[in-house]
Amino acid sequence: MAEPLPPGVTKERMADALERFRKIVGKDWVFSGEKVASYHDPYTISNDDGRYKAHAAVAPESTEQVQAIVKIANEFRVPLWTVSRGKNFAYGGAAPVLSGSVVLDLSRMNRILEVNEKFGYALVEPGVSYFDLYKYIQDRGMKLWLDVPDPGWGSVMGNALDHGVGYTPYGDHFGVQCGMEVVLANGELVRTGMGAVPGNNTWQLFKYGFGPYVDGIFSQSNFGIVTKMGIWLMPEPPGYQPYMITFPREEDIEQIVEIVRPLRLNQVIQNAATIRSLVLDASIFSTKSQYTSDKGPIPDSVAKKIMADQEIGMWNFCGALYGPPPVTDALWTAIRDSFAKIPGAKFYFPQDRKRSPDILLHRAETMKGVPKLTEFGFLNWDGGGGHVGFSPVSPTTGHDALKQYRMVSNRVREFGFDYSGLMAIGFRELHHVTVIVYDQTNPQERKKLDELFGILVREAAAEGYGEYRTHIHYMDMIAGTYNWNNNALMKMNQTIKDALDPNGILSPGKSGIWPKHLREGKQP
Amino acid sequence: MSRFALLLGGASALACAATPAAGEELKGKEVFEQYCSYCHGPGVAPGTVQLSRTRGKEKGLLTERTDLQPAYIEYIVRHGLKSMPPFVPSDLNEAKLKALVGFLTKQEAAGKK
Repeated sequence: MAEPLPPGVTKERMADALERFRKIVGKDWVFSGEKVASYHDPYTISNDDGRYKAHAAVAPESTEQVQAIVKIANEFRVPLWTVSRGKNFAYGGAAPVLSGSVVLDLSRMNRILEVNEKFGYALVEPGVSYFDLYKYIQDRGMKLWLDVPDPGWGSVMGNALDHGVGYTPYGDHFGVQCGMEVVLANGELVRTGMGAVPGNNTWQLFKYGFGPYVDGIFSQSNFGIVTKMGIWLMPEPPGYQPYMITFPREEDIEQIVEIVRPLRLNQVIQNAATIRSLVLDASIFSTKSQYTSDKGPIPDSVAKKIMADQEIGMWNFCGALYGPPPVTDALWTAIRDSFAKIPGAKFYFPQDRKRSPDILLHRAETMKGVPKLTEFGFLNWDGGGGHVGFSPVSPTTGHDALKQYRMVSNRVREFGFDYSGLMAIGFRELHHVTVIVYDQTNPQERKKLDELFGILVREAAAEGYGEYRTHIHYMDMIAGTYNWNNNALMKMNQTIKDALDPNGILSPGKSGIWPKHLREGKQP
Repeated sequence: MSRFALLLGGASALACAATPAAGEELKGKEVFEQYCSYCHGPGVAPGTVQLSRTRGKEKGLLTERTDLQPAYIEYIVRHGLKSMPPFVPSDLNEAKLKALVGFLTKQEAAGKK
């Protein structure tokens, strides 16, 4: 099948644009034809084969090349879909929302420009992965820890810009971002915050600078191309104690979350801890077929068998303590005493775990910032392969947590999937992430998943819940739920889009934001 | 082109493939460790578990396989398979892919000597 063209761009004009791109980056770094296959969504949901297909990809190695590419894209009206490393696989990978776009692949811009041990920060380009930054720090013996999401091969910058989360006290990745360099749609280069002061030495130390704080508009957006970003790193603590608390009943989630809220607000729980479901934890190191040959969601009898076999609960709270031992000992006493009120709660340190491999031993590494891919063992649970995350935000209340759990798990099971989810603890909210694993090669399964996802989004919105992040297939749908006051937020986003990118060349459709010439029929 | 056809094509490509030089093998091993080992290393790495389950334990570890053919490796790296996503050529570039293919087919090449 020939690669699609974007609206309004002829085959000849596209060919001319690609030739101009080759003159900028070299012929080896413009990918077209068969080579575009690597940029397709590996876990496609849509049954329309024409959707989310790039026409080509271009991979610059410098900010100057990005600026030059943007100017050509404006001249030829060629849409660019920007990815840092394209590893955001549960949300579409490197694939564009608008078919025919040229993927602006920033993987080659992978320089670690500075790691500052004294102040605890790094300044990186988009192509730097968690593996890269971890190795850089380890090789130099620097006393700094990363905060990592589960996919260690992902981009440090890309994950922060997409509001990704990790599991240490620095788990809010955009929250620990500080200072950006951005190529605007007209090719102009902007530095945010203190970076706008020539010769300034606090670009990665103070976020806000002077005037409007604009960094946020370059996250989950299509208003510019971020080519450098500062990220704060945690000093290696003098002590580290990971732990896991297991709970035996589904309904325990209500009491768990009620206990979590004051502990987290008072920073007794220091990190972005997680409350993980039975199947999620069981699936990392075992497969469903080890416990049952039946199709469909596992019954209670199988759940109990897994719990006994793996010494895990229906819910498993994975957290960690950071600091000098007298501090962590005191914090642990408060945490243990609080959760001991829940009947059947069991408490574990890594040395208490007798199985190998084991979920706490795995999470203990993640909660100290060791990048890995181990978590993706869950894809082997029933051999599905594809996966997508449904991620509504909940207040940290037991009532909301139980309500969301029931809403989502009932629907997921009704459609024949196991409930596999976690609640990642922010300061005042929970990211309730449900991972649905499906066979992306089966059109019927994709159709079923698509129907389920639409129901989940609509039912969540009806109860006032919104998702914090989503797959490219659902960006319009999710954006449409943020519609308070006659879509005032989207109208404002569109005004910004039109001002900064009048030709609409940057990532059309990202987060539901479309340029003026492609907006017809879209929200609002 | 179907994956089955590529498998057959891979067989003929292998027959023509030169035994990789020692330096290439070393580089190929580095590529494997950098890009593949997190999922295809020993133990409970997700890719190793998946291959053991679907193709038999003796085929779980890629580094111990003797049946991998160059065209097949190249196709899977660029297109992905089931839960394995594709690798873009800007990152795992053609030179690295060639070295990786050399490393993963070294057992087969050695067996033909």
